[in-house]
Amino acid sequence: MAVPWRYCWRWSIINCTKTRLSNYAAFSTLSSRGPGPIAGGAQQKVRGSRGVPSRNGWNAFTTRHKPRQPLPQLCYCKRIHSDTKLKDPFSLAQKDLTHLYDDIKKELFVSGTELRSLCDYYFDGKGKAFRPMIVVLMARALNIHSNSKGDLLPGQRSVAMISEMIHTASLVHDDVIDGSDQRRGKSTINDMWGERKAILAGDFILSAASMALARIGNTTVVSVLSQVIEDLVRGEFMQMGSKENENERFKHYLDKTFKKTASLIANSCRAVSILVNSDPEVHEIAFQYGKNVGIAFQLVDDVLDFTACAAHLGKPSAADLKLGLATGPVLFACQQFPELHSMIMRRFSSKGDVEHAWQYVLKSDGVQQTSYLARRYCDEAVRQVSRLRPSPEREALIRLTEMVLTRDK
Amino acid sequence: MSLRCLLSDELSNVAMHVRKLVGTKHPLLNTARGFVYDSRNNLQMRGLVVLLLSKAAGPSSQAAPDLQAQDMVSGIYPSQRNLAEIAELIHTAFLVHRGVVNLKEWANNGQLKDMQFGNKMAVLSGDFLLANACTGLAQLNNTKVVELISSAIGDLVRGVYYENSPNLEDSNPGDIFDMDVWEEQTFLSHGALLAKSCQAAMELAKHEPKSQRLAYKYGKHISLGHKLHADLQPFVTSSAGEPVVFSLNSGPVVLHRQIVGQDKWQQQLEEAKTFTDQLDYSKLWAAIKSERGVSSAVDLCSYHGNKALEAIQAFPPSEARSALENIAGAVTKF
Repeated sequence: MAVPWRYCWRWSIINCTKTRLSNYAAFSTLSSRGPGPIAGGAQQKVRGSRGVPSRNGWNAFTTRHKPRQPLPQLCYCKRIHSDTKLKDPFSLAQKDLTHLYDDIKKELFVSGTELRSLCDYYFDGKGKAFRPMIVVLMARALNIHSNSKGDLLPGQRSVAMISEMIHTASLVHDDVIDGSDQRRGKSTINDMWGERKAILAGDFILSAASMALARIGNTTVVSVLSQVIEDLVRGEFMQMGSKENENERFKHYLDKTFKKTASLIANSCRAVSILVNSDPEVHEIAFQYGKNVGIAFQLVDDVLDFTACAAHLGKPSAADLKLGLATGPVLFACQQFPELHSMIMRRFSSKGDVEHAWQYVLKSDGVQQTSYLARRYCDEAVRQVSRLRPSPEREALIRLTEMVLTRDK
Repeated sequence: MSLRCLLSDELSNVAMHVRKLVGTKHPLLNTARGFVYDSRNNLQMRGLVVLLLSKAAGPSSQAAPDLQAQDMVSGIYPSQRNLAEIAELIHTAFLVHRGVVNLKEWANNGQLKDMQFGNKMAVLSGDFLLANACTGLAQLNNTKVVELISSAIGDLVRGVYYENSPNLEDSNPGDIFDMDVWEEQTFLSHGALLAKSCQAAMELAKHEPKSQRLAYKYGKHISLGHKLHADLQPFVTSSAGEPVVFSLNSGPVVLHRQIVGQDKWQQQLEEAKTFTDQLDYSKLWAAIKSERGVSSAVDLCSYHGNKALEAIQAFPPSEARSALENIAGAVTKF
């Protein structure tokens, strides 16, 4: 992960003393390359127009980065808000996603075997297809940014499909590793067919994704998405270990979150950008948007593990605690209730740990802090994507960050 | 397997955890033991054949910026070496993933916890090896090779699924299991990775499609011959009365079955059943030995060995080619 931690830490000491939280939030902005003039100009406008409530620490921080003078790009934004109707990101991406699952099934074609039913099991069209949606919107926004034509390139459509395939393959393996028996409100593959076949089916989906990736015919895109597979595995390994030191632990958590969740979104966005534009700065915008939305998405997921009821979520709640994982809310709660420290270190393995930790988290402001951190990541995502030329798809990507924050399942 | 990979933090982490499995029955333990002790499983045949073929085919006839003759080390391009390593990584990842056990079969055994833990390690380490293979493939900068090798991963999965299908063990009368099916399935699980790696090695050196086809053929026939050779071992090395175990899906048995016909095979299976409904393998062994199944399998093995030899005759004579010829010869020797 390209986050300069030492650098962030220094910043946070200087600037962010309002809340404990700001220590951790500061880095997301810093991790981007210095905000260019485009970024600054657009950022001002977006912030104004969306009426984000001012927060001291954050504002003090962002104003430091304001460009010395406003730049011509600013005018884009005025136009967009006056005459473009905001559309629901889902409906805007819909036409590109109608054949998504059919296309995936074609990639996974194996004649009349059991393997086929396993592979089709999760591609039943009932998934949210959250990743392909971001990829498609980003691709269209980038196409408009680059050549004024919004149409998807075939390679970009493939990337959207591949992102969902890689995601699903990793879900199948995760469910075996975690021993889960419920996913999206139905039995997991391992529960239905056994662990051995589940793992092999995951490998099969991955191989099909990899073939589709190769057929795009762009070696850079192959490298970018191979990185995702490596990140996913490394993230899983990181999840096995825990850190004694509190600050290291938070860094470890965010680092793991990037690798396990955000890397796929970030690198898929980068891939569709590479396919249409040769400017590395544009690739970086796409990557940063995906990264920040991805981390926010996972932070909200970790919050929902504490706040949503089991039936709504399609999986049992407090699942992370039961797996011995200390997510954002627990890490924040630990600052208020140091008793949690030893529980985290023993991965909630003693009797009653899960219940106690649960109580501590609800008593603390861990949930609010984590949600707030998620919001900051979304703010950064908005700031990044606002550097692109305006388009309905760009607005949808901005609206999508709001949906990430407010989703309840 | 690649030493670079063994030195990573992740695998040493796994190694540390796998120690906890010592004393349990998780298959991962055996697989891991194989890497260390068992020279038979540790031949790295795929890597070896890829390297030898690369060397035998020689430098590229086409000029390409990433194919400089001075980059070759003992007649092999760096990308081909990486490919050899990737083939081994994938093979090993599969050995590990195949060893994942179904927890429901262990639910009442008191060993469930060990098995859960073993599975977790097996999934993680297999994924780690596969992920390394993926990034390695990407670095080869050749999307054709990426597609070819990725398809081999899919073939391996399909092969394992076939192996698992209760096909022969149940011996339904309507079963269509014959030698063609055997060859198809064996190719998927034992040949596709090698054949496609051989082809990819030629592609990396930009050898013409004809060389690619020949390399593929060598890999395919050597794998099938090798599998038949292994399948034949219980029938050629042991003598009557010795305890034997063999798979009912192995080449000689399938050939035997095809020769004697479904009815007679059913009858032989019935006769070989003990009171407890277990199969008496010695009895079945004797029945199979008395027919032509074994000798047909030996013939078939020689056929594949010869096909492999034939495929590499188009390459100029060299030490590497002789080594490949020796491998083909060894496969047909009993």
